[in-house]
Amino acid sequence: MSTTGQPREAVIEIRNLTKIYRDFWGRKKVRAVNALSLDVYKGEVFGLLGPNGSGKTTTLKMLLGLLFPTEGEIKILGQSASDVRKNERIGYLPEESYLYRFLTGEETLDFYGRLFNMSGADRKQRTDELLKLVKVEHARKRQLKEYSKGMTRRIGLAQALINHPDLILLDEPTSGLDPLGSRDMKDLILDLKAQGKTIVMCSHLLADVQDVCDRIAILYGGELKVLGRVDELLKTQNQTQVLSSQLTPAAQAEVEAVLKKHGAQYQVDHPTANLEELFLRTVQESKDRPGRRLIADDPANKV
Amino acid sequence: MNFDAVPFPVLYSFILWAIVIGSATSIVLVISLMATIVSVGVRGPLVFANELGAMVGDLISLSPRRIFALAQLTFREAIRRKALMVFVVFAILFMFAGWFMSSSNLAPEFQVKIYVSFVLRAISWLILPVVLLLACWGIPEDIRLRSMHTVVTKPARRLELVIGRMVGYSFVGLIVLAVMSVVGWGWINRQLPVAAQSQLVCRQPIEGGLTFLDREGNPSEKGINVGDIRMFHSFIEGATKARAIWTFNGVGDQSLDREGNLLLENRFQAFRSHKGDMRRSIYFQYTFVNPETNVRVPYPLKTIDEGRGRTDRINRTLVNVGESADGKKYDIVNDLVTKSGQLTVEVACVDPGQYLGMARPDLFVRTADLPFAYGYFKAVACIGMMMLLVIFMGVSVSTFVKGPVATFLVFSVVMVSYTARDFMGKIVGDPFVLAKAREWSGQLDMQKLEGGGVLESIYRILWHMNPTTDLPVGASTTIMKWIDAGLVNFLWLVYRVIPNLDYFGQSMQYVANGFDVRFDACVLPCILTTLAYFGPCVLLGYFALRVRELEAK
Ligand SMILES: Nc1ncnc2c1ncn2[C@@H]1O[C@H](COP(=O)(O)OP(=O)(O)OP(=O)(O)O)[C@@H](O)[C@H]1O
Ligand SMILES: [Mg+2]
Repeated sequence: MSTTGQPREAVIEIRNLTKIYRDFWGRKKVRAVNALSLDVYKGEVFGLLGPNGSGKTTTLKMLLGLLFPTEGEIKILGQSASDVRKNERIGYLPEESYLYRFLTGEETLDFYGRLFNMSGADRKQRTDELLKLVKVEHARKRQLKEYSKGMTRRIGLAQALINHPDLILLDEPTSGLDPLGSRDMKDLILDLKAQGKTIVMCSHLLADVQDVCDRIAILYGGELKVLGRVDELLKTQNQTQVLSSQLTPAAQAEVEAVLKKHGAQYQVDHPTANLEELFLRTVQESKDRPGRRLIADDPANKV
Repeated sequence: MNFDAVPFPVLYSFILWAIVIGSATSIVLVISLMATIVSVGVRGPLVFANELGAMVGDLISLSPRRIFALAQLTFREAIRRKALMVFVVFAILFMFAGWFMSSSNLAPEFQVKIYVSFVLRAISWLILPVVLLLACWGIPEDIRLRSMHTVVTKPARRLELVIGRMVGYSFVGLIVLAVMSVVGWGWINRQLPVAAQSQLVCRQPIEGGLTFLDREGNPSEKGINVGDIRMFHSFIEGATKARAIWTFNGVGDQSLDREGNLLLENRFQAFRSHKGDMRRSIYFQYTFVNPETNVRVPYPLKTIDEGRGRTDRINRTLVNVGESADGKKYDIVNDLVTKSGQLTVEVACVDPGQYLGMARPDLFVRTADLPFAYGYFKAVACIGMMMLLVIFMGVSVSTFVKGPVATFLVFSVVMVSYTARDFMGKIVGDPFVLAKAREWSGQLDMQKLEGGGVLESIYRILWHMNPTTDLPVGASTTIMKWIDAGLVNFLWLVYRVIPNLDYFGQSMQYVANGFDVRFDACVLPCILTTLAYFGPCVLLGYFALRVRELEAK
């Protein structure tokens, strides 16, 4: 990850994005995204967080041109969201695996490969490669309707990677995967990042997000509440954490004595998943004080 | 056959097509421009122009590989979702149909007619609903299940998606059609009673032009109207100077059969004003005329064969033994056909007080027959064209409405085309429909319907004003007439947008009656109609997919 001081190339620019779902008669139903502005930079893993129904999927769909923004602008890979040519360099894993259930694993990848105008030999090679990568090689000749949820998810991931994309949009990539699977998924994401790809992911599994994301945004009710680098957001300025293993009760008493002597307020506890705290706090405060941006300063935004 | 096949007016139709496409496109463009301006404000025209540019860009950057991939996907979907179950229905239908159709007491031609039209009807009635359902449900399901999301987020153009779907369903349909038609052909050959097998032919008629002489011998356009409802036929009175005169072009040695006979086949009808001789039918007489040399050679009297028609094998060497008998021998091709290859045949009714009825296709020179399969598969091809048309419309409509609505919509278009198109044609004053109406009703002054347009009619009804009374002069009358004219123009567009499906059905009638399907009057219009709808359907589907969000509502 490059340092925060340099200007960086924005892969996605979202400006003042608003989406209002309307019904057939044009009546407003839901304001799913409200005045959202954020940038995603080249080479980073960006996490989009938020409770259910907070507008994460809606945002991704607008980025892909599946939905049209009610207001605001999107630049993705330097092009407008409705331009299909941008898709040459994008990989997308939908929220659920919306694949063709009557195709076999192999046919699925071959089909998507052809949509990228790949030659037969390329497709064959890439299909083999990806099936091995996502570990569903044994089921390559079976129709997707016979796949388990996790297997479908894996094929879904494989189809998102078929074109060696520069920008990968993953909507809840670890949902439906077993612990091994999510471990693999996280490794894969870090691996892709190492190859210089940009990744945007939505997730609820905060542990996963904390493990792999460089920056996150937390949405609540379609509004951006928190945006920043994960490490910065979790660093609490006036607190110091001392982590230790195998501390005997005697040693612990000694440490406490030292802290008492210096008059510090302290708490002895086991470390918690900090992102979880941040998330819960954000959600709670958003509920209490609607319409307020909680942490507006994004260090990465400052050039 | 109960229709008069005339060559399809290609140029006229093409110009109409261009006008319809042009006006429909302009309407769509204007409406979308206004919608863009309303939604994005002053930048509207710019956004609109960009969008239009992008659409044109898509049009010229089509990728065959992607289209093929999408077509194959469609094909696999249909097959794996068991669309081929239709064969089971087909098989069952044919296994048991034989039991009900063996009616050997009918004349062979009628048996052929029944068997052939059963097979062709069965094929089209099975295949059309199947492709209609497939085509109308494919895209909406794709959107509902969101599988389309993974496709449109690839570089696949939405245009390619529409074309891919159309091509895929066409393949499915064509395979089903091919199998069914071959099975149907085998079935006809096997099941048709042996006595009727000889009638399983594909006649190659040379049709002529028909004019009349009235009972005083003066030329006239029509014969007598005997009050028959089927005024498609015109009658000549027996034992008067009334004649029906056919002129056949392109008659030569090649038009004769192997033994050198000229085959004249007729479908004359009789109208009796008295019982006549009960032991025989009505006498008629052919007279061969060469207007260049004024030679007239009558042929011996024959009786008509009502309902079935009769074929006369006329030896090419005729001895002139008629009224102006010179006893000389005349060769049909060398002496009676003009230098430009025209043969003139006069038909007279001989029995006094009886009338002979005919229409233009009722007398023709029957040249060497072709095998039955030739005409049969031509008719199958026409069914195939109709199937493609249904697929194009179905896919196109399904891009903006859901499956059931799309099915209903296309079905309605087909139904309206069969039931109300002629009526609409009369209102908007389509010359061809008016001509047809004249032909059938004998109402020579057939014009646009009376009583004015919608508003005017309502006005007249409310004020109890009959259609011949003039409306009061004034601004409101003018406005009313303007609105009515606008409505009629709109109806004109609707009328023109609804396909004319008559030709597709006619192809079956040709074959069932033992005729070859005429290319210029039937096969060509089928092909052109289908082609004419392909482009607009693709564009409409593409436009709809592009301006809508691919989210199940
Ligand atoms: N097709 C739709 N029509 C109407 N409203 C919709 C539609 N899709 C989503 N919404 C609404 O938009 C809001 C945001 O939905 P979205 O799917 O973006 O949430 P999300 O953050 O992805 O939630 P989750 O974590 O459950 O996936 C919700 O209130 C939802 O009800
Ligand atoms: Mg979601």
